[in-house]
Amino acid sequence: MISTPLLIAKNLSISFGGIQALRGVNLEIGRGEILCLAGENGSGKSTFTKIVSGVYTPDSGELIYDGESVSWGRPRDAGAAGIQVIYQDLSLFGHLSVAENIAINRTLHDGHLLVSRKKMHEIAAAQLARVGIDLPLDAPISTLSMANRQVVAICRALSMDARLLFMDEPTTTLTALEVDRLLKIVLELKRDGLSIVFISHKLDEVFTVADRITIFRNGAHVGDFPAAELDELSLGRHMTGRDVTYQRYHRAQVDEAPVISVQNLSRSGHYKDVSFSVRPGDIMGLTGLLGSGRTEIALSLFGLNQPDSGTIAIGGSPVKITSPWQAMKHGIALLPEDRQVQGLFVNQSVAVNASATTLDRILSKFGTLSASKEAVLADQVVEAMGVNNKTTSTLVSNLSGGNQQKVVIGKWLFRSPAVFILDSPTIGIDIGAKAEIYDQIHRLAQDGMAVIFISDEPEEIVANCNLVLVMHDGAIVESYSEERVSEPGFKDELIRIISDPDSDVTNAKTEGSNA
Amino acid sequence: MKRSPFVRLFNRPLTSMEKMLLGIIILYIAIVTIKSPQFFSLSTFFDLFRSGSGFLILALGALIVFISGGIDVSFAAIAIVSGYSSVLLSIALEIDNLLFIVFVSIVIGVLLGSINALLIYFYNLPTLIVTLGTASVFHGAMAILLGMKTFTRTDVPKSMLDFGSAQLFSFEVDGARVGLTVMAPVVVAVIVITWFLLYRTRIGRSVFAVGSNAESASRIGMSILFTRLFVYTYVGGLSGLVGIIYFSNLAYINPAAFVGTELPVIAAVVIGGTKLSGGEGTIFGTILGVLLWQLFQNTLIRLGFTASFNDLFFGAALVAILGFIYYRQRQANKRALVFSTN
Amino acid sequence: MINTVRKMLGRDREFMVLVATTLVVTAILYVLLGDRLFSLGGVQSMSIQVSEFGFLALAMGLAILTGGIDLSIVAAAGLAGVMASLVMSGLIIPVTDDNQGMLFVLGIVVALVTGLITGLLNGIIIAKLSVPPILATLGTGILFQGIGMALTSGNSVSIKVVAFSQIATLAIGPAPLVFVLLAITFVIVGFILKKTRFGRRVYLFGENEVALRFSGDRSERTIILTYALIGLLVGLAAIVIIARANSMRVGFGQSYLLQAILVVVLAGFNPFGGRGRIISLAFALVLLQVLSTSMTAFEVSPYAKNLVWGGMLLLVMALIHFVRKGRKVGAKPQDFSGGTTPPTGSFPALRSARVKTSSMGVRS
Repeated sequence: MISTPLLIAKNLSISFGGIQALRGVNLEIGRGEILCLAGENGSGKSTFTKIVSGVYTPDSGELIYDGESVSWGRPRDAGAAGIQVIYQDLSLFGHLSVAENIAINRTLHDGHLLVSRKKMHEIAAAQLARVGIDLPLDAPISTLSMANRQVVAICRALSMDARLLFMDEPTTTLTALEVDRLLKIVLELKRDGLSIVFISHKLDEVFTVADRITIFRNGAHVGDFPAAELDELSLGRHMTGRDVTYQRYHRAQVDEAPVISVQNLSRSGHYKDVSFSVRPGDIMGLTGLLGSGRTEIALSLFGLNQPDSGTIAIGGSPVKITSPWQAMKHGIALLPEDRQVQGLFVNQSVAVNASATTLDRILSKFGTLSASKEAVLADQVVEAMGVNNKTTSTLVSNLSGGNQQKVVIGKWLFRSPAVFILDSPTIGIDIGAKAEIYDQIHRLAQDGMAVIFISDEPEEIVANCNLVLVMHDGAIVESYSEERVSEPGFKDELIRIISDPDSDVTNAKTEGSNA
Repeated sequence: MKRSPFVRLFNRPLTSMEKMLLGIIILYIAIVTIKSPQFFSLSTFFDLFRSGSGFLILALGALIVFISGGIDVSFAAIAIVSGYSSVLLSIALEIDNLLFIVFVSIVIGVLLGSINALLIYFYNLPTLIVTLGTASVFHGAMAILLGMKTFTRTDVPKSMLDFGSAQLFSFEVDGARVGLTVMAPVVVAVIVITWFLLYRTRIGRSVFAVGSNAESASRIGMSILFTRLFVYTYVGGLSGLVGIIYFSNLAYINPAAFVGTELPVIAAVVIGGTKLSGGEGTIFGTILGVLLWQLFQNTLIRLGFTASFNDLFFGAALVAILGFIYYRQRQANKRALVFSTN
Repeated sequence: MINTVRKMLGRDREFMVLVATTLVVTAILYVLLGDRLFSLGGVQSMSIQVSEFGFLALAMGLAILTGGIDLSIVAAAGLAGVMASLVMSGLIIPVTDDNQGMLFVLGIVVALVTGLITGLLNGIIIAKLSVPPILATLGTGILFQGIGMALTSGNSVSIKVVAFSQIATLAIGPAPLVFVLLAITFVIVGFILKKTRFGRRVYLFGENEVALRFSGDRSERTIILTYALIGLLVGLAAIVIIARANSMRVGFGQSYLLQAILVVVLAGFNPFGGRGRIISLAFALVLLQVLSTSMTAFEVSPYAKNLVWGGMLLLVMALIHFVRKGRKVGAKPQDFSGGTTPPTGSFPALRSARVKTSSMGVRS
């Protein structure tokens, strides 16, 4: 192995519309090195990736790849030289087969006018063999699990003789077993001399195999750290430049009558036999990996996913919820997982967004929409939620992620829901804004709202919840009472059980048989 | 498991839409045959070929546009404009040669198609609205530049008349001559070429890829512009061909004709299971969709309905089939918790 | 105060461009054509003509506001016209001196109810079966035309109720009755869109149907109601059409479909839904009608007219494209991006740069 780095970035800078996105970044990536690129949203890590992969041309600075100064004209050139990026959405073609998805880059690059099914199968089979995984070559991508889709994306990158592979948050949709498989593949590739860069905005499982963790902040390279030196606190400090600690939540309400209780709720293929109840002032954490059934339950409570059996009771009386409108009538609100698509009208003003759920509260005495009442309502929302931009005529698309999320919470605020379901409320939100959103949620709960808090980040669950349910494969595998949540070792236990729920299931079974 | 001939040839099973259409068509043919037994004959089959050839070729063009994620309503106008211009040119130059006429028509069609492609690519606007605009521009420009003169049989180039009436072979059945039009091999050739382009060439696979996910396609370095150019020039070329086929078949040239054909063509493609969202669609399904339309056009009369009922039946079938396709998708989306529809 | 005005102008630059264009074009044509066009009689006849088409344009505008399109409006108006004409033709109910008044009212009711039913059918197919509006209305368009054909065998149906044609000739002061009707309809629809909850939901539906549903709205009801309203407008258009022609034939007014889309795009409506104002639509309608009448005065052939309409459609879209592109530097590209784009960094500029690198086609 040659000791010169594979890639040297010297003093890279780029700005967009007057905003400096990268400020003189220097970074080296060694051959066969696994690097983690960590930073908050907008810290410049994806801009850096896009410069290296030829999507952007830097304003100044130099890229030295394999000993030569390079300037990519277009992404294809970088790809041909062996720089491959696997975006978080994987960029696959749902209607095309596994074989074609893997081979499509290669065939495109080889420039043959004709495509041969046999050739595509050969390419695909060879790459799948390389990572040691067997997939049906003729199956359309849309029939594959997320983990297998990721394997396809990796194989596609490998088929281009990748030497430097970027992977954007590869673990978010994977179960612990699948993460293990991914890490095994990655270590295997490292042994072959491939350099791999993981991009992440939080403490990630991939840190454990990384040789080095590089942190970006505000478009600048802050420093490099060995994985062993970082914990959540120090990572947060490096990413934000300040110490961020979250206030833990303690319930102070005395009313013990549940606001919402769910009995034996089942939906085939989604979740089974789920029971829980939430009192006023409870913040119940619902955690587990993506696909464990947490979002599916939330959508059922909001009328968008009809359960097959079981009951939902609001304030003690059973209800049937078949639409969000009915859910709203019963005092249930949902902050959806996908803020941009499900939560906001991004090309409308803050005022229009804020009043979307409360049009009946801004009517004049003739029953028509009142612009002045709408303005007052919007001001109240902005004020209550602490949105930084106070001008309510601003288009939501011009707000930062954190402020956008405050608007989504705010639009439900004036419906005063009895039950507020928050599905991953801090995805893509900066650490500073996170703390403000947590505070707001705590206040709502203290005032007597029942909150269901869905998240896959243990620290977030620990900071916000006084009750916790852990889900896996559609079932509740563990349920923590208020006492257990306040025990000192709770967080470590939660981390263990979320990342490896299967062992807990077996443990629980053996425990059960012992007793 | 035994593989059916279809699976062996095309390496895929029939889609459920194709199965359903096959069922409907067989049932319909059975009903018509019971009502009027002479329907089920070679001559009916040959007639379908004759009357449906242009329609099917246009449908294949529309299919490619659908697969690429767009919708084109200008191909009927392109067919007329390129066909009419080409005929005028051949009359003016006194070149009465079918190959020349077809060639010129296809070239004009390709040029007009490339205008569509460029507008769609650069303005990034709904393809329906763009092609609606270009359709009237193309047709209007032709009317102004070339006039709207009609030509009757005596003025139509002789090579076209021969082409329109030529038969591959013919024989006597019960005292009537029955023959297969030369359009048949043309149609078959277009089907094979389209299939080959879509499934065996790189550009054809890019059409599927761009239709399936344009952003991903562009990320791996596919040229969206080149793909769109291919799609719309191919449709333009096919339309040019159809213009000549249409005039030759009628032996009468009327530049005001054919307008409005695009809607049933699109309807036939959609019936064949092609999705508006791109990336999906089969040639076989399209052929079945066209066949259903042709059957309704030509055989309702045997069930005792006048031609005035054609649109009623076809429209009702179209709405029912669309409802069926998308309701099923809606149920699937509900299960999979997919909320955005397009 | 000045700031507010400036802000209003800034935000509504497209509207100002439209108003200015309308005034300038009208002025030029006035100089060229003078009294031929702008005499009292000329303006009156223009306002009658615009009435027929105006209802259809408004209907199309509503469909496009919801992010859909309605390809069936002309066929639906044809069907409503045929139904009403049949009622008043004496073919079903003999027309006598005694029942003329009753048939007159019945004809109007039949036109409106037929229109309403066509709209409801579209709305239900789109909302309850989730058929994309383009395809749903393509199918129902063929179906409506087919019903009309089956009823009439393609023959013209003439109206025997004598008073009916007066709808097109009566005037209130100098203003033709049908024009007053159109103006009132514009005001009502404009009011509904701007001032009622339903109107707000129409815009929100067009902007983001999913987010509307997640806001606890019965969005399926919103879309069905919208298409029902479209159906009513189509029924009104049918009444004006049959009153002017005193008869109805299936296939009438095919070119209105293109013109309706043109006028809506010209008015600055976002073709992907969620944006557009009724007042702009009114101005665009005036502009189109003045141009159309002038072309008739210049004896421009219908084909050349179509060329102008198609050319204008492309030109206006190109202009809007450049205006938006120029103004929206550093703003979200979402306006014109078809597929969903995953959120990336929080710099707006990054997003537009990203789109530049992957400028892609758009699903219609």
